[in-house]
Amino acid sequence: MVKVGIPRALSYYRYFPFWKSLLEGLGTEVVLSRHTGKHLLEDGVRHCVDDICVPVKLFYGHVLDLSDRVDYLFISRLVSIEKCEGDTYTCPKLIGLPDMIKGSLTGLPPIIDFVVDVQNMSLKSSAKKLADSLGVTGGRARSALEAALEVERRYQAELLRGVPPEEAIDIVLSNGGGNGSGSKAGPERTGGGDLNIALVGHEYLIFDPFISHNIPRKLERLGANVSFITQVPSAVVDRELARYPGISWSYEKELLGAASHFLSRDDIDGVMLVVGFACGPDSIIGEIITREVRTEKSPPLMTLVLDEHTGDAGVATRVEAFIDLIRRSRTRIPAPGPEPE
Amino acid sequence: MMKVSFPHMGNAYIALSSLLSNLGAEVIVPPRPTRKTIDTGALHAPEFVCLPFKVNLGDNLRSLQMGADTLAMVSGMWACRFGYYGRVQHQILRDAGFEFDSILLGRDGIWTVYNKFRPTVEGNLALGWFRAFRHFKRKAEAVDKLEVKTRQIRPFESERGSVTRALNEGLSLVHEARSLSRIDTALLEATGLLDDVELDKDREEPLRIAVLGEIYAVLEPSLNFDIERRLGEMGVRAFPVMSVYKWLFRPLKTDPRITIDEYRARRIARPYIAYVLGGEEHQTISGTINAARSGYDGVLHLYPFTCMPENICRTILPRIESEFDIPLLNLCLDEHASPTGIATRLEAFVDLLRQRRRKRAPDTPV
Repeated sequence: MVKVGIPRALSYYRYFPFWKSLLEGLGTEVVLSRHTGKHLLEDGVRHCVDDICVPVKLFYGHVLDLSDRVDYLFISRLVSIEKCEGDTYTCPKLIGLPDMIKGSLTGLPPIIDFVVDVQNMSLKSSAKKLADSLGVTGGRARSALEAALEVERRYQAELLRGVPPEEAIDIVLSNGGGNGSGSKAGPERTGGGDLNIALVGHEYLIFDPFISHNIPRKLERLGANVSFITQVPSAVVDRELARYPGISWSYEKELLGAASHFLSRDDIDGVMLVVGFACGPDSIIGEIITREVRTEKSPPLMTLVLDEHTGDAGVATRVEAFIDLIRRSRTRIPAPGPEPE
Repeated sequence: MMKVSFPHMGNAYIALSSLLSNLGAEVIVPPRPTRKTIDTGALHAPEFVCLPFKVNLGDNLRSLQMGADTLAMVSGMWACRFGYYGRVQHQILRDAGFEFDSILLGRDGIWTVYNKFRPTVEGNLALGWFRAFRHFKRKAEAVDKLEVKTRQIRPFESERGSVTRALNEGLSLVHEARSLSRIDTALLEATGLLDDVELDKDREEPLRIAVLGEIYAVLEPSLNFDIERRLGEMGVRAFPVMSVYKWLFRPLKTDPRITIDEYRARRIARPYIAYVLGGEEHQTISGTINAARSGYDGVLHLYPFTCMPENICRTILPRIESEFDIPLLNLCLDEHASPTGIATRLEAFVDLLRQRRRKRAPDTPV
């Protein structure tokens, strides 16, 4: 059977169940790269340009990890991932990803360049092109596509319930078929903590436990309930964005909408914005969030910048300090005016 | 009276200030950005935003201190960050306590900007815009002609710096000209100044280097340590792929030469970059290929730290370098880059190019 390798990075967190189910339906075997580790990251950093963001360096690492054990490399090109009025793109690096890989790495297996350009071309026609290139046509391709879309829909539903992507992928794919029982199998999020922290940032950064130093876990250990950006439904994002128009980056729209949503909620005690160093769009959106979205009434907002040199202790210290400060501000009785001398 | 200002971009200020002053506004041109401008900009800007943002912010700060009450900037919804500059910069400045009016061309819509000058233009508004546009175009063309001429003669100057002096004098003549006929006279005078510079015509054919990359890094001397002049004074002929004239008139689509050039560049770059990324990536890729095809000695790729489209080019260029056999030097610029570091790398690169040429044609000394 033909082996197709999918790197466990970037768009993996959004589309993997769809791709896996589609590719398997088309009669190929899907191979996933290993979990991110020190060597994998070092490999990526060595083969990539110095001043690009960490997620892309990681992607290189994952591609290299797969390169000698698959027949095809599956690399997505996300041009636009939503249908909306006006212009919409993703970050240039996601649009040019296959070009970068082709242009800079040698000795790779042939690349399947899967274009996601929802604004101009439906996901179905992209998938049909893939089926054609693999030589699968007719009913078989159609049923594979239907099944894949169904899996992706269930995956998105799991994410909305607050299940982290890795777990949601396991739930959705282990159930196979599409009998609808998957949505109940997920572990219910325990609400045991006394704080509610919202984690806002790209899913490919937050949910890679190696590069994010497992921030969600750290927060949970400190007694916080964590809400993820993936839990914010797109309708809510759109509603929030109506107040901050004029953004064309799809990923950043979600970031801005989610941040605005969490910052206006009373039951959220703190918002953590996690960005990768050298992330282009985030340098602008982070500034818009701190300057336009945050008000005096909104819960505390912390920005954490991650790169390949970030140490675990550094992240732990900052997360602890953030939680401590929120707890301390709670125990103090809120003074109505300026404190008397 | 409206006191308008805008950030610097090479010599674009000459044409832009003529446009605005013909619309009846008082134009405040901040001094050319220096290292200090960049530092103050970097102080207020987000940490890892690209360098042009920081320079523009520094320029805006200076203009506000000089009394500007309106800041103009282009703006749009592109994949590149440049479209969001105006919005974020103006917010930062307002948070810093400045009060001013914004003109965000692109975001505000063309008619809002058009009508903004109704109170300042005397008589018919459409006529005012037409007159202003003619001045704008004439000055942009004049500046472009002077820049092209400078590029040709600088490697031959007998006394180092004399061409630059003549150019600056000429540019200020064009800048001060107030009517269309005066602009023409100023251009003639300025060309004469450049013609009068003493040249050493016996020198060998200079090396030819194409300068390309992110447009602001290529065109703004304060950012690239005046690389065109540096190269010229090293006896090298530098050819920037882009120019201020092209940059100003590309979105206006009034000059078919520019439109055709853009179309060609996209077509040449397509095998390497399949989709539009929102920056100058097509010019960078096609510029490198064209340079190799037309026998240039080398290519200099300039880009600001963390620039998204150029970083993609940066990963692809090494492949083009070996495929087309053309030497390439990448220079990544940020507020910490030092002039000495850049000079050393440039000298090393030029030395290598000289050796390469000597090897290829052993009889002709360089």
